[in-house]
Amino acid sequence: MRRQFSETVTSLAEHDDRVVMILGDVSVYLFNGFKEKHPDRFYNMGICENTLVSVGAGLAAQGFHPFVHTIAPFITERSLEQIKLDMCYNGFGGNIVSCGASFDYAWDGATHHCYTDLAILRLIPDVEVIQPGSRKELDTLLRTQYRNGKATYFRLSDHPHAIDMDVQFGKGVVMRNGSSRVTVVTAGPILGNVLGACEGMDVNLLYFHTIKPIDRDLIRQYRHTRILVVHDAFGLYEAVCEVPGVSASYHGLPDTFCSWYGTGDDIRKKLGLDVPSIRERIRKYGTKARVTHVF
Amino acid sequence: MGIAKSSGHGHVPTCFSVIEILYAIYGTMRHEPQKPGWEGRDIFVLSKGHASLALYCVLAHFGYFEKERLGTFGAFQSDFGCHADRHKIPGIEASTGSLGHGIGLATGMALGLKIGKSDRRVFTLIGDGESNEGSVWEAIMVAENLKLSNLTVMYDNNMSHSRGLQIRNPVSHFKGFGCEVAEVDGHDVDALKQELAKKAGTVRVIVANTIKGCGCKTLQDNHYEWHRKSPTEKEYVCLMEELDEATV
Repeated sequence: MRRQFSETVTSLAEHDDRVVMILGDVSVYLFNGFKEKHPDRFYNMGICENTLVSVGAGLAAQGFHPFVHTIAPFITERSLEQIKLDMCYNGFGGNIVSCGASFDYAWDGATHHCYTDLAILRLIPDVEVIQPGSRKELDTLLRTQYRNGKATYFRLSDHPHAIDMDVQFGKGVVMRNGSSRVTVVTAGPILGNVLGACEGMDVNLLYFHTIKPIDRDLIRQYRHTRILVVHDAFGLYEAVCEVPGVSASYHGLPDTFCSWYGTGDDIRKKLGLDVPSIRERIRKYGTKARVTHVF
Repeated sequence: MGIAKSSGHGHVPTCFSVIEILYAIYGTMRHEPQKPGWEGRDIFVLSKGHASLALYCVLAHFGYFEKERLGTFGAFQSDFGCHADRHKIPGIEASTGSLGHGIGLATGMALGLKIGKSDRRVFTLIGDGESNEGSVWEAIMVAENLKLSNLTVMYDNNMSHSRGLQIRNPVSHFKGFGCEVAEVDGHDVDALKQELAKKAGTVRVIVANTIKGCGCKTLQDNHYEWHRKSPTEKEYVCLMEELDEATV
């Protein structure tokens, strides 16, 4: 997905001389093409995430469309105040693009994991929060959102799903509509596992690539059903629960650090986010008489 | 001082340490108060946002708005808060308050102007206490590495953190980061203007040695107590008498 990010932004920069790339010493080789074509708009600024965001905001103040890119926990959790104040409160919006969220860097341990980015950013006024699940989704959403003047967060993954679909910013996707009394809701790359888990089951399945603004109209259509949010991050469940009249449960992260190393798939299996575990969770959820919360 | 008294708000000692600096900056930079969005203007960012009352007074002095509007300072639904909101006040380029942000914003603005090959300049005022924040030094490193010769950083060296983490040798610190550094009496407007007019091949830092509460002995001797305090009517009279003795 990072390669797609580079290709799309390089393409945008050819037609828009207000596009500026700021890297936090990450994905540098991927952007060699951008650097060669637009050396005055490419900056590997260093490992200083607070300042990356502030500089991005300052560029936006001068009419540019900055892309600020580095590893998820450092650009979101460490730089939350710069995003909140310099970009959002000031109205100097730019594009914040992360990699390595959830457990893309599973082997690096909890210092490099990031589960809260979607959840904390969606609480800031006037911000857009996007978790594309595939290269195609990323390409579409980058092109439609990058120059709207708002702070827009794109959460990339090195493990996208392989499902081909057209997407539109702010619109959820009905993946399965079986008129079931159970609706599974998910977002981002884990859709691959969730879709596999739902195979042959009588459930509805909704998919979101835009966490904020969440597609409330779509969720509202399914609020008469029991909703199970399956997600390898925080933020989607909370967004779903804010829709009036919804009863939902969450299957995803525990209230603990996932400090087990290994691969992303290892962590997903440990958390019950592999295909068989999700399937079993949905099956049990479908047979329960009342809504329970997993937290 | 009168606004601080009537409103019950204001960081008076820090305002008195920077007032000449702000006056000198607005007396040096290119700007048109009647057209605050003029595209040829230089930019000033008050990174130490708690000195906003002093900035409001200077902006009013230069004609950005009527001084009478400052009478609502800090009041409910006033345009003039204790930290400035750029959406509400002409001449305010960035909403600041949380320390260590304005200098990064100013760095990005200067970079944008450099990319656009503009000759406009960016000025920012940071505090010595503010410089406890790591983000200040991140921004200095980035700005110097980018050789942002259109950025001037004014450092208000008012020794506000002598009881805490005081940076005791700011000149050598900034020189160590590669900046061109000058040191000046921060209450000498002519000397300030002379330094502000100079340009360098990289970021220029002016360490302005100032006194918190300058002009009022009571504030100078008790600046921690007065950091966020506004005077009563009786205290106001005493402070104004002290100010008269020192300045008139």
